[in-house]
Amino acid sequence: MAYKAKLKEFDLVLEQDIIKLEALKKISFHGIPDDQSKRALCWRLLLNYLPEEKALWNSVLTEKRNLYKQFIEEMIVMPGENEGNGDVTAGDHPLSINPESQWSTFFRDNEVLLQIDKDVRRLCPDISFFQQPTEFPCEEIVNSCDMKRLHTRVQRSVMNCANVERRGLGITKIGIPGKKMSEDYAPMEEGKEAHWEVVERILFLYAKLNPGQGYVQGMNEIIGPIYHAFASDPDIKFREFAEADSFFCFTNLMSEIRDFFIKSLDESVHGINTMMNTLLHRLKNSDLDVWLKFQQQDLKPQYYSFRWITLLLSQEFPLPDVLRIWDTLFSDENRFDFLIYVCCAMIIILRNQLLEGDFSSNIKLLQNFPPMDVQVILTKAVELSKLKLF
Amino acid sequence: MAKKTYDLLFKLLLIGDSGVGKTCILFRFSDDAFTTTFISTIGIDFKIKTIELRGKKIKLQIWDTAGQERFHTITTSYYRGAMGIMLVYDITNEKSFENIVKWLRNIDEHANEDVEKMILGNKCDMDDKRTVSMERGELIAKEHSIRFMETSAKSNINIERAFRELADAILYKTAGREPGDNVDRVMVDRKPTSSSTKSCCNH
Repeated sequence: MAYKAKLKEFDLVLEQDIIKLEALKKISFHGIPDDQSKRALCWRLLLNYLPEEKALWNSVLTEKRNLYKQFIEEMIVMPGENEGNGDVTAGDHPLSINPESQWSTFFRDNEVLLQIDKDVRRLCPDISFFQQPTEFPCEEIVNSCDMKRLHTRVQRSVMNCANVERRGLGITKIGIPGKKMSEDYAPMEEGKEAHWEVVERILFLYAKLNPGQGYVQGMNEIIGPIYHAFASDPDIKFREFAEADSFFCFTNLMSEIRDFFIKSLDESVHGINTMMNTLLHRLKNSDLDVWLKFQQQDLKPQYYSFRWITLLLSQEFPLPDVLRIWDTLFSDENRFDFLIYVCCAMIIILRNQLLEGDFSSNIKLLQNFPPMDVQVILTKAVELSKLKLF
Repeated sequence: MAKKTYDLLFKLLLIGDSGVGKTCILFRFSDDAFTTTFISTIGIDFKIKTIELRGKKIKLQIWDTAGQERFHTITTSYYRGAMGIMLVYDITNEKSFENIVKWLRNIDEHANEDVEKMILGNKCDMDDKRTVSMERGELIAKEHSIRFMETSAKSNINIERAFRELADAILYKTAGREPGDNVDRVMVDRKPTSSSTKSCCNH
């Protein structure tokens, strides 16, 4: 379909006072136009952040964005900062053994933060977006003289040392080591912050609010594309609140895929093992040769599809392709069943190579999926889904 | 079917806390390059490199694992098949060193009893940020009778050597299984066993 016609189709659905989610899903399944803020808006709807009734949008957005602000105020605090003048509350100090103490919480939080910090610095390294400063830094944080910046809490500070050499009487040579290497992700100056710092804050708040689950590696790869879509929205009125909006959309999305991230749920109905078994089953029903080859080589789905499924394919393709695939995944009536068809299609598309290859080359191929037009994969996935393999 | 281009296949595994540099070590060894821009490993990753040791072509199949607790069930399933395991910590990260004991316990629980182990203290180029002394690394290795080396994937220190030594130890052990036999003889013995379970040329 011509691009203009496609835009028009979206306009038609989106200009209704009450948006028909079914209709939106139907057209979004085939890809959401990249410009005119369409994707960010549609994702907000598809992820159930914005209600179908347009008249409610303003109040919902205001409420949620204020709530997010409140989260920051309540949860990103330095112990002791709320204490009155000189009144050090008895029992609350850095060495307190009371697990409820502000300081204990602070140290516990920093453990989580340490992991998040490592991962957000490793987010989408092939594009520079996340290292760029955001236009809308969180004022309260960036003007706190670094006190509230999350990454400074887990920065390991080192004391400068010098080599002291004594040579004979009274002669001391002090050698000071040369200057340090510059940091790859140098902190921004006061008043500025980079996109990765914003993502770090979103993940930290999510971990604080979901203590049973906490932060699990890979969540960074889920929030990344959402935040990118929202923070590059051409509409400044939306772009300004990319942080709060992506936090809630991420939370909603996580509520659906949470089980992938919890070890104890691996065997449950929506757990990762069930998903991988479904994939294998569908592969068997659609391409027995490849399935047999995998059996023969003892090539287990854990070797490749664990990451595919857990991260909704976000590490397998370049970002623009991930956005396109997610349009379809988010529009899936039975979220995230279609994902399994996409995975299945990915394997079948490589069938000739897989049937030729040995164990090593096959694993390599599946773990480093060759660049290709994702439309080909999605079309194949639709074809498979119509076969009713399950 | 691909022609068999090696004499022996060794399966190795890299484990250790998140962010200690496992992927970088592997990348340095397999591609002789270094980059700080790695995404975090989710689940398990995989590389192949063929080296020559004592006249034998040895294909190393190396599995790189995710460090975080969540992935342990998925990664411990690879312990069983591993012939060599590298335990990596970061010399600028005390916690990652303390956890070596935990990783050793994991090996005891899940790996073959005779698996060859080696401890690596990575990032030894960052001496100005060091918090774990070389002596402490040596001590813990000695306590558990494991080989030890400090490495730097960035400055390419000891990476190649670490893999070769680990492979050599496995080779030595493989050869030593049949007392009085030389390596060649053992290999002839090994071939049918591995191909009877599953076709060995696929690996």
